[in-house]
Amino acid sequence: MKDSLYLAWRYLVHHRSKTLLLVLSLSIFLGLPLVMRAMSAVIQQSLMARAQSTPLLLGKSGSSLDLVVEALYFQPKGIEALTAADANEIDETGLAQAIPMRTGLMARQFPVVGTSLDYFSFRALKTADGRALATLGECVLGAEVATTLGLKPGDSLLTSPSALFDLAGVYPLRLHVVGTLEPSYGPDDRVVFVDVKTAWVAEGLGHGHQDLSTASGDVLLKRTDGTATANAKLVQYNEITDDNAESFHFHGDPAGYPVSAVIVIPSDDKAGVLLRGRFVNDSARQLLRPAQVVEGLNQQIFRFERVLQIIVWTVGLATALMFVLVMVLSWRLRAEELRTMARLGCGRWKAVQIMGAEVFLMVGTSVALAAFFGFVITHYGETWLQNLVLRGS
Amino acid sequence: MIDLRDVRFEYTQGGFSLCVPELRISAGTKAAAIGPSGSGKTTLLNVISGIACPDGGRVNTASVRVDSLSLAARRSFRIKTIGFVFQDFLLLDYLDVLENILYPYRLHHDLVLDADARARAQRLAADLGIDRLLRRSPDELSQGERQRVAIARALVTAPKLVLADEPTGNLDPATKQRTIDLLFDQCDALSMTLLMVTHDHGLLDRFDQVVDVSAFGGSEP
Repeated sequence: MKDSLYLAWRYLVHHRSKTLLLVLSLSIFLGLPLVMRAMSAVIQQSLMARAQSTPLLLGKSGSSLDLVVEALYFQPKGIEALTAADANEIDETGLAQAIPMRTGLMARQFPVVGTSLDYFSFRALKTADGRALATLGECVLGAEVATTLGLKPGDSLLTSPSALFDLAGVYPLRLHVVGTLEPSYGPDDRVVFVDVKTAWVAEGLGHGHQDLSTASGDVLLKRTDGTATANAKLVQYNEITDDNAESFHFHGDPAGYPVSAVIVIPSDDKAGVLLRGRFVNDSARQLLRPAQVVEGLNQQIFRFERVLQIIVWTVGLATALMFVLVMVLSWRLRAEELRTMARLGCGRWKAVQIMGAEVFLMVGTSVALAAFFGFVITHYGETWLQNLVLRGS
Repeated sequence: MIDLRDVRFEYTQGGFSLCVPELRISAGTKAAAIGPSGSGKTTLLNVISGIACPDGGRVNTASVRVDSLSLAARRSFRIKTIGFVFQDFLLLDYLDVLENILYPYRLHHDLVLDADARARAQRLAADLGIDRLLRRSPDELSQGERQRVAIARALVTAPKLVLADEPTGNLDPATKQRTIDLLFDQCDALSMTLLMVTHDHGLLDRFDQVVDVSAFGGSEP
């Protein structure tokens, strides 16, 4: 067998272009179903794990899938916002803890999420470098954000303006990086975390500017009792520093400020049931179990996978037939070589062994390649696969 | 070494037959097989080597009744006992020169590719003047060099009998003489019997025995 393998190996190496083409074709044929199955399993497991770790989620009525995808996996879906009062309402019931989530902002291609410190303990996110959020204008970076942007505590980054050509719109806010998180191998790695109030400032709901009580006359348009009106010369701050932090303030009632969703952590199962009961007839809001929504998504993935499998097997059959055709034609072209082998005294079984060894080496290499890529994709491509599915969901 | 009695052979599709009442070639003899094209020279080599099985008569090669052996036994007998040199060399382009010489060892478990075999291949290559070409591909060699590789492949197993089917047919006159010299020298050195098909009657006086195959009634339509 050793000699047969050697001759087969030498032949395949000599005709390396043909061999490479066949091996790649076979690898794709063999690898696709493997990768698909592995992909499907990985996606379903990782999506479900995060959903199951989030007991309840409160959001505006509408697509439950969009709500879960934006609030849990931070993929922008343009969901309608609740108000801070909705989060307070949950807290006031005494049945659960509410963690507000404000999404929709971006900073250098990464989502900026406004939340409270409770989120970090809820997700067991640990600081790798620096410290946790403490004051307005600070941010903590997920592991992947820190690595990709090369940022560390002491650095800063700007939020992206929501409308580039809207001169009267919201200007970017410079965020101070005070900490980076340890990798969690999930969506939290790709997020810039800020306090929910910082998110509101970045959205233009809160702002800081030059003190009008001490402002010179060319800035003021009108001053009456308790009210001062300034013109466009008034200096507006786009960075919250120790010097100007005092000047930052919110107009109106903060209870009416937007919150994209609220993670609800009931104190026990009974509290969860009671809370869900309260929202059953609420037409404006929905309190849902993310695991239930993701289960529905997984079923969609499974149905899609079955259709894809039929296509893959059809393509695979064509590839297998092409492989057989190429091998048969190759052996026909080598008829003279086979005759010479027989004349020299090569046994029939040995000739079959040599030809079989060629097939064995090519199929073996293809299986190894397919398994290798399957392993790489399932072990290192989880995040990429998750994003792929969630962006399209 | 070769003893044929009352041998009859006819291809199954008909149209050609060979009848050999008697043919004897002693061990160590250098014999030439001559005859016009289609007279059955190659068929005679095939019958002697067991590639073709006669319809009747006895074929005794190297003291073995070849005609009574099974297909597998004939192949085993052939690879151990007979060395072949073909007109078209039939070297493999995916093996280098040394691997081509050692090729028979890869084809049958009865031959063991050990250090002795490798040493013999090196020695033959040196004797035939191709030792500097051992790592080259056959595609990079001249016709004469290729034929010397083919001769080395035929001799490497130290066969008792060498059957050469027009080995000089594709060579120029100078290379032809040099190839014959090398083949004869090796057969003498290793005490081998040689039966060589040739159309070149100018070479016949160098052989110990000449077999005219046309006398065996070979005919083609």
